Amino acid sequence: MDAELLELQQQLEAAQSARSSVRLSERNVVELVQKLQERGIIDFELLHTTSGKEYITSDHLKHEIKMEIKKRGRASLVDLSDILGVDLYHVERQSQKVVADDPSLMLINGEIMSQSYWDIVTEEINEKLQEHSQIALAEIAAQLHIGSELVVNILLPRLGTIVKGRLEGGQLYTPAYVSRITAMVRGAARGITVPTNLPSVWNTLQLQLQETHGASGVSVEGSFFQSIFNGLLKEGSVLGSVRAGVQWTPTVFAHAQKESVDAFFSQNSYIGYEVLQKLAIPQPKQYLEARYPDGIALEAVFVHPSVVDMLDTAVGDAIDNGQWIDSLSVLPSYISGPDATKILSLCPSLHKAIKSSKAVVFGESCVFSNAFIKGVFDQLEKEMDSFGIKHSAGQGKPLNMNPSSEHSVGSDQLSDTKDPGDNDTSSTGVSSDKVPKKKRGKVVGSAKSVTLEKDDDNEKNIPVKGKKAHRKNKDASSSGSDDINGPLKFLSSHLRPMLMESWMKKRNTMLSENAERRRHLLDNMQKQLDEAVLDMQLYEKALDVFEDDPATSGILHKHLLRTMGAPVVDKILRTLDKDNKWKNGMEVEDSEENVQLSTTHRTSLVKDLPGSVSVKAQALVEALEGKRFDSFMDTLRDVAEESGLLFKKLDKRLERSMLHSDRKDLMAQVSSENDPVSFLPKVVALLFLQAYNKALQAPGRAVGAVIALLKDKLPALTYKVLSDYHSTTVKLLALQAAATDDEEDCTSDRMLEKKEDLEGRLMPELKSLVLGTSKE
Amino acid sequence: MPRAGENHIPIAGNTKVEEHGAKGEGRRAAAAAAAAIRSMEGWDRGTKSVVGEIPLLSTRAGPRDGDAWRQRLKEEYRALISYTSVNKSKDNDWFRISAANPEGTRWEGTCWYVHNLRRYEFPLQFDIPVAYPQVAPEIELPTLDGKTHKMYRGGKICLTVHFKPLWAKNCPRFGIAHALCLGLAPWLAAEVPILVDSGMVKHKDDEGAPAEAAAASGSAAAS
Repeated sequence: MDAELLELQQQLEAAQSARSSVRLSERNVVELVQKLQERGIIDFELLHTTSGKEYITSDHLKHEIKMEIKKRGRASLVDLSDILGVDLYHVERQSQKVVADDPSLMLINGEIMSQSYWDIVTEEINEKLQEHSQIALAEIAAQLHIGSELVVNILLPRLGTIVKGRLEGGQLYTPAYVSRITAMVRGAARGITVPTNLPSVWNTLQLQLQETHGASGVSVEGSFFQSIFNGLLKEGSVLGSVRAGVQWTPTVFAHAQKESVDAFFSQNSYIGYEVLQKLAIPQPKQYLEARYPDGIALEAVFVHPSVVDMLDTAVGDAIDNGQWIDSLSVLPSYISGPDATKILSLCPSLHKAIKSSKAVVFGESCVFSNAFIKGVFDQLEKEMDSFGIKHSAGQGKPLNMNPSSEHSVGSDQLSDTKDPGDNDTSSTGVSSDKVPKKKRGKVVGSAKSVTLEKDDDNEKNIPVKGKKAHRKNKDASSSGSDDINGPLKFLSSHLRPMLMESWMKKRNTMLSENAERRRHLLDNMQKQLDEAVLDMQLYEKALDVFEDDPATSGILHKHLLRTMGAPVVDKILRTLDKDNKWKNGMEVEDSEENVQLSTTHRTSLVKDLPGSVSVKAQALVEALEGKRFDSFMDTLRDVAEESGLLFKKLDKRLERSMLHSDRKDLMAQVSSENDPVSFLPKVVALLFLQAYNKALQAPGRAVGAVIALLKDKLPALTYKVLSDYHSTTVKLLALQAAATDDEEDCTSDRMLEKKEDLEGRLMPELKSLVLGTSKE
Repeated sequence: MPRAGENHIPIAGNTKVEEHGAKGEGRRAAAAAAAAIRSMEGWDRGTKSVVGEIPLLSTRAGPRDGDAWRQRLKEEYRALISYTSVNKSKDNDWFRISAANPEGTRWEGTCWYVHNLRRYEFPLQFDIPVAYPQVAPEIELPTLDGKTHKMYRGGKICLTVHFKPLWAKNCPRFGIAHALCLGLAPWLAAEVPILVDSGMVKHKDDEGAPAEAAAASGSAAAS
């Protein structure tokens, strides 16, 4: 028997004697457990696994939960229930207990997380942060599937320990990154020298960051910049002030602002608000008032009292010397009219002067001493007088002659030799400016404008302040009349009432003089008109005879118009014109009356007449040019009535007496007439008068027709002689017309012959005939 | 089923190969065992799985083969130890056995069966036949001799028709352990309840002398 066999025998023995493990069926176990619970031996809670095959005590469950959390750091209850095979309900309950027991655990949204888990997570975050230099909390939250608030809660206690970074506006940044951004912000803030809107700066920085980082999604919140900026501001690494949290005004800028304002103000002793606005001082007035309490705030400018002093002395000077001054010329050019007025109102010497009525302020800035105004006024008055005389002499075109006359005066008075042409243009420029403004219509207007023009010239002529006045004049002539117009306008408007008054006074005296003359003139006119009108009416009657002979009638009409109408019209027009001028107080020289006026001349006269008369007179002039004498008479009547003259009507008695005197007149003429040619019409007229008892004025051409008409009315002998005479006269006239200068020509012989014939034979014959009949 | 068998058997085969170092033989044995188990139709599943866990034997030697027998005997022991431990682990310990002579040709022991919460225990004995391992050992339960039809004279149990061919097929891989597992265990499970119910066998608490005697003889054998 070998040893191995023995050993095996023993082994079998041992195996058979070894204790057998006990096995119970599930059902038995369940029953056993129930029994134990019934008996109260198991007095604690016993839980089932979800499979239903295992019992678990709550303590063990807790333990398992703890272990699981320890292992994983973070576990959701659902996962725990799966892993442990225990119903979720129990897991939840036990988890709550576990979390309540252990302060390092937290139960959030069905998940248990331990502090150690957070430590690990934050370490990871830190690693990532160091890598990316910045992480958004939202990103972390999304990664961990937790709320960003929780992330903040977790991160805050670990910032600076585990997480080396800075939390700003939902972003984590590394110190390096923060310092870089800080450097950027510092640079930007220091680089800014003018007031700037901070958000816009941040935007630029953001853009810059994005450019340098590419599209790696590095976005920095403006609030981050802002907080860094605020920090920098607090620690004093950037200097300046922030308004409303966004408007950044660097100290450099404020300093420069102050400096420039100071410099300007101390140098010029004034400063405009515009300048300050350019320097971005929002409320310049308040700013200046606060800075310079003794300064004077005006509309558009802030001035130092010294400016007032300066102006005051200048004004005082001007007043004392009896001169005038434009305060704008003394004040800095920047100061405008209204402000000048204000400054002037601050001048004590001016106040004194105004109170004692020694000075007058014109417009906004000009101060005139009364003495000066008086001087100007006197001179003007003188000038006006001389002008009035001149004007009456140069009747008709006052404007044309004025400049030359004025200029002659001006150049005499100017001490400096000025270019006459220059002066001329400027003065005419002024006058042309003035005329439409001051024109009051009619002749007065033009007269007035000339007066005003005088102002300008006087202004120039008086050597007010030597050089200065001279410069001003030059300015005026070179840059147009605008500059000089300002004060002048005021001066003239001030002087004008005074001048007007004196002028009116003068005019009134002149008018009273003229009234006498006018009356005389009108009486004269009436007389002349009466005569003429009666004559014309007389002659007009004779025209009726020729009504049926249109050719002759036309000739007669025209003849009458020319011989009788034209002088009457001329007379009327002239008289009216003169009357008009006198009425307006103008000197009118008596001029030669008897010149025949041309049509255009007439119309120009007509145009000068006052309105209604002018229209009528125009009609009269036109009728004069017409063919009908009767229509002319109508218009003549109208004109006479319009101008207040009487139009005498022809009555029977007057007519007869007139006819009588006419006849006598004619007879006397006929008897004394020696010239055979001019004899004929007179004879014809006399015969016509005798025949028709109507006065006739007939031109030579119409004589033939008249004679033919007389045929029936005259005795045959008379008619024969008359017609002979007529034909001989016609022949004579024809010869005369055809005659040349040649003496040897036979025509002159024949002419002479005819003339002798007429003179010798026919004229006495006819004379005797005519006179004889008339005597009957 | 065959798949399960395949899974089990090759593992057993492998262990055998390691033991003997005979690679080719081991492989053949494994294949045969697999075939044997596949053809095991008369046994329940529990039995089959247990059989799979008992190491197979390899030495073909009878009691008269001297050293070869001793080799065989060692294998028998190992198989028995393994089977016993398997049974114990499954809380299915049901016999005690030991060699009654130094050659190991006679074996004695006890076996028991629990029925209705009562343990019925019977003495067990058998001789190793000369033709072993071609012929299976005839297991005797002397106390039950004459109490049942499923038994030959002298208390030898009457096995199922399936046992003999299976054994023959698995010669020399089946040993004592297999015989107990495939032969005696099913027999007990089938016969004891009938015997108890019919009153042929009475529990030792209920009946005095015969049971007492049997127990005494059993315990003597065990010692």
